[in-house]
Amino acid sequence: MWDSALVALGMFLDPFHLCMLLVGVVEGIVIGLLPGMGGTACVAILLPFIYQMGPHTAMAVLVGALAVVHTSDTITAVLIGTPASSASATTVLDGHPMARQGQAARALSAAFLSSLIGGFIGVIALTLSIPVARPLVLTFGSPELFMLCFLGLGFAAFLTGETPLKGMISAALGLLVGAVGVAPNVAHYRYTFDQLYLMDGLPLVCVALGLFGIAEVVDLLAGGGKIAERIDLGQGWMQGVRDVIQHRWMVLRGSLIGVWTGILPGIGASAGSWMSYGHAVVVSKDREQFGKGDVRGIIAPEAANNAVEAGDLIPTLLFSVPGGPPSAILMGALIVFGIQPGPRMLTEHMDLIFTIIWSFALANIIGAALCLALCVPLARLTAIRFDYLAPAILIIMIFGAYQSTRHMGDISVMLGLGLLGWGMKRLGWARPPFLIAFVLSNPTERYLWISVNRYGLSWLGRPGTLVILGLLIVSLAYWLLSRRRKKPDETSQAMSDWRFRPEAVFTLGVMFLLAAAAWDASGFPFYAALLPLVVAIPGVAMAAGQFVLDLRGRDRQKEVLDLATSEAAASRKGTLRALLVFAIIVAYYGLIVAVGFRIATLIFLVGFLRFLPHAGWGRTALYTAGMFAVIEAFTRLLDMEMAEGIWQLWP
Amino acid sequence: MKRIGAIFLGSVFVFCGVSFHTSEAAEFYAGKTIEVVVPFKEGGGTDVWMRVMAPYLQKHIAGNPKILIRNIPGGESIHGVNQYVLRYKPDGLSMVATSATNYFHALLGVKAVQYDFAKLKPLLVNPVGGVVYAAPYLGVKTAADLPKTKERLVYAGISATGLDLVMLLAFEVLGQDLKAVLGYEGRGPSRLAFERGESNIDYQTTPAYVASVVPLVKEGKAIPLMSFGQVSETGALVRDPAFPELSTVGEAYELLHSKKPAGAAWEAYKAFNAAAFSIQKILWVKAEAPPESVKAVLEGVDRLQKDAEFNQKAENVLGGYPALRGDRLEVAIQRTFQLPLEARRFVQELLEKKYNVVVK
Repeated sequence: MWDSALVALGMFLDPFHLCMLLVGVVEGIVIGLLPGMGGTACVAILLPFIYQMGPHTAMAVLVGALAVVHTSDTITAVLIGTPASSASATTVLDGHPMARQGQAARALSAAFLSSLIGGFIGVIALTLSIPVARPLVLTFGSPELFMLCFLGLGFAAFLTGETPLKGMISAALGLLVGAVGVAPNVAHYRYTFDQLYLMDGLPLVCVALGLFGIAEVVDLLAGGGKIAERIDLGQGWMQGVRDVIQHRWMVLRGSLIGVWTGILPGIGASAGSWMSYGHAVVVSKDREQFGKGDVRGIIAPEAANNAVEAGDLIPTLLFSVPGGPPSAILMGALIVFGIQPGPRMLTEHMDLIFTIIWSFALANIIGAALCLALCVPLARLTAIRFDYLAPAILIIMIFGAYQSTRHMGDISVMLGLGLLGWGMKRLGWARPPFLIAFVLSNPTERYLWISVNRYGLSWLGRPGTLVILGLLIVSLAYWLLSRRRKKPDETSQAMSDWRFRPEAVFTLGVMFLLAAAAWDASGFPFYAALLPLVVAIPGVAMAAGQFVLDLRGRDRQKEVLDLATSEAAASRKGTLRALLVFAIIVAYYGLIVAVGFRIATLIFLVGFLRFLPHAGWGRTALYTAGMFAVIEAFTRLLDMEMAEGIWQLWP
Repeated sequence: MKRIGAIFLGSVFVFCGVSFHTSEAAEFYAGKTIEVVVPFKEGGGTDVWMRVMAPYLQKHIAGNPKILIRNIPGGESIHGVNQYVLRYKPDGLSMVATSATNYFHALLGVKAVQYDFAKLKPLLVNPVGGVVYAAPYLGVKTAADLPKTKERLVYAGISATGLDLVMLLAFEVLGQDLKAVLGYEGRGPSRLAFERGESNIDYQTTPAYVASVVPLVKEGKAIPLMSFGQVSETGALVRDPAFPELSTVGEAYELLHSKKPAGAAWEAYKAFNAAAFSIQKILWVKAEAPPESVKAVLEGVDRLQKDAEFNQKAENVLGGYPALRGDRLEVAIQRTFQLPLEARRFVQELLEKKYNVVVK
């Protein structure tokens, strides 16, 4: 085994091989930065280019890109509060508030360093577990996988902050939105309204991008000004490094959580970073700062998301069961070279396995080093007036979301969830439970029914099931016991007057949605109906309870574990501005549908720059030219696509 | 008048087509690009198949056209084929690569399907096969031993309307009870389920079988029982060329029941087996595409078959089966899609009664 390791390492002495790794790393970093693309896009884009290479070089490029995506996606998450990939939505929670407090450099350096360490621990775990991977993976049957999903859903409870009711309704919504499409255990389509687009369910990237990204951009624009009024550059950089050293055990635990979620296929990569975040909240004594810029909220998930990719390589290479779409593409690439992943990889292609491992390790170092070097200049971005940044961000988000399945539905989903996300953020509903429930909706249902169909109820007594259940109970108990209860202070008492407030309207809307979902589900076949019913019916009851609380105005002052809205944006004027911004985005989308991406973007961009930041014609022209150069480059060089309109005037 | 004009113009084209056939076929694709729609995600089986084929097709089609792969996934992979049929011109410069799921949707009469394979022309066909294997503790050595086992047969599947249907129909034909636990994410996870004892009977398609199950067989952890068999051009079920030593589902039936299989279940089995395996991957072009373009591609496939480098490099993707010229199989392919009404009804009833699925 170890001589293959050396042979594979020796290949990096070849400058071409190393160069290709660098190409992969740079591509991974660039794609990682773009909202909406993430891991899948970064390897898919490279696919057509790898034919001329040998399998070793091809793996160096692909793995090089894959290893750094979750390092660079942090930048977008921290600086503009927009998750570039679904896994980085976790980083938004604490990273973005830190950026707004002027601590972008600290947040970024802490994130990159923990990413690096997470990736490294992932690689070590990957190497060590090769001989024992088989029995390890095979101990986890469907009941254990179900219990892990259940544990993840339990973790969602930790992310609800002081408004558990809203948090639980939010999770219920997530589970139901996740149920759209074909039911996992019976070929029945739920909530698809005869739309072909909805049959495969909603794309995770578009959901995450809408819920956090669009909502954040709208909110920032409504508030006006810059992301951070005052920035703290040089000091922050070192502080981030110190933070990681101080919380080294959290980095280790986060990485291990990541490796495990990666190794077990079926749970999904982004669940790993959420579970790691949940664990950070549980084990921390002082939790008040989570969601408001606690550095631990960055360190834990960032350590996890790189480790996930490393762990994911085990089932991909040894079982040919990829854990996520990026590794599915990696596996496809291997097959292109005539190598079918599976147990025979260990005897026949050990050198290739080590090429992959070394590429991952090297890419991790190079990627983190590049990103660390970029920390300070990138942090300066937060000092630019946001209305200058916003149109570029919006255009790239829409362009990126469209790449996910190249259907207008992608943009609709993102904007629809953007509106919901903005409403939730504005009215103090925690969004993390929504996203984690969305991610786990399908696997939970899938493995529950498989367990029940296969084992009846006897699976409940399996040792694995009991161990995971025990873990959940212990975490819950620890969390509940160590929760410091805030005494209701004077102001919230005084607020207790019965009045019809805007939040009540929102709650009423949610209640209506839940009721409609339950009503529709009552007509589904049993296996398709049970989960939606079990979720939606209590959901309606909880929403009714929340409605009463809204009328009394009791929740107004409470802390939510999510990004808060700035004061300017929370005012009546801010709300109107937000709605106006939203209308502009929808109009832009309408234009795309009508005349295609190019012309629509031109009109939107020029209009936006002229009327919002009141940019002069010179600046507007320069900005527009730059934007188009970037988009044209992506389309041509990386085989991406622009949405076509009904009346496509300009090809 | 218009009509006569059209006939006249048509005959001029036909005349030209006949007289300059070879040169036109050679020049048709010179300097052009063929866009191939793949209705699946990057990295999926059909995508990989097309990507492996593409450089060799590029090399062997006269004029060396550039081949561009365009993935249009989503909508249960119905969306991509619909898009091809509705939005692309029949100019020979666009093609579509399909797989078993696409045929199943058509065979089951799913409403969202807007394509009709009778209006497409197959250019390149790649068959594949499947092998059924069982856990040693069942105590069976061949498919004919199945009734002897005391254990309940448990099968881990994905969805009753997907490729699993072939497995379910095989056991309907054999008259063997099979408990199907459905909902696994794919063939890989369902093989894992077999390995950890969640199921005791399973099948894998040829490449996955060779890569992941043959090692298990060598370790004594799996027993190969039978192959699904290949549906020949005449519509008979014959042994799988990749597994000549394994008996087929039909042979197993004969051993168990001492007569030849017949009836709606058997017809349905053969049709879905053909769709799932014998013609699994097809590269199509619109039927109205210029004949010289079709000819150029078919001649390219001829040269492709003789390319030693291709045969060696593509072995894994082809799964030990040849890449075939589409026109030679056209009759067999179109026969598959003319499923007898009673057979379709049989499948619909089976799905509805046993698996709670109403095809819409």
